[in-house]
Amino acid sequence: MERIELLKSINDVFIDVLDNEDIQLTEKTSATDVEDWDSLNHIQLIVAIEKKFKIRFKSDEIRSWQNVGEMMDSIETKL
Amino acid sequence: MILSKGDNFKESFIVTDDVYNGFIHVFGDRNPLHTDEQFAIGKGFSGKVMHGNILNGFLSYFVGECLPSKDVIIHGQEIKFPNPVYMNDRLAFEAVVSEISEAVGVAIIKFKFRNIFGKIVAKGEIQIGML
Repeated sequence: MERIELLKSINDVFIDVLDNEDIQLTEKTSATDVEDWDSLNHIQLIVAIEKKFKIRFKSDEIRSWQNVGEMMDSIETKL
Repeated sequence: MILSKGDNFKESFIVTDDVYNGFIHVFGDRNPLHTDEQFAIGKGFSGKVMHGNILNGFLSYFVGECLPSKDVIIHGQEIKFPNPVYMNDRLAFEAVVSEISEAVGVAIIKFKFRNIFGKIVAKGEIQIGML
């Protein structure tokens, strides 16, 4: 999957989970940039992303992410 | 993680007078489908249809009291009611852990309620977080 395609897929998950059509993620986007991306919604986002890509994350890698790009790096290693 | 994929659970519930009346007393839903026998029969049912959301109460009990840990919280749930439940129906409840997200301490549990004829009266899934 191309990087841009992956970003769009993740963006779709964010729109769905956070119920916000205006979300436009970039690789530099972090939790502070997105309204409602709090700790509870973070859990919902991770569960939804795991489901969409049929992958599983480790808690350590989730904690290490600083932005969406790093999340994408993790996903790419599992596809 | 206290749950593993494939873990399964069974419980039995009865929609008693107390449960039914308690639900109406607390939430006030006196729609005639639930409270008027003749009205319900006129709509093609065999009697007063029990509120579907009574089963959500049983689900709450299941999550809060029947799992191997009390350190749990319901993040969300989906439920469908393909067949009616009537007063004093005995319901067999089956649940199985279908997915685990170790990284965020989440379990997805799929469940079904069946009546004594084996018909599914409710089914769905619950997302549970480990506290």
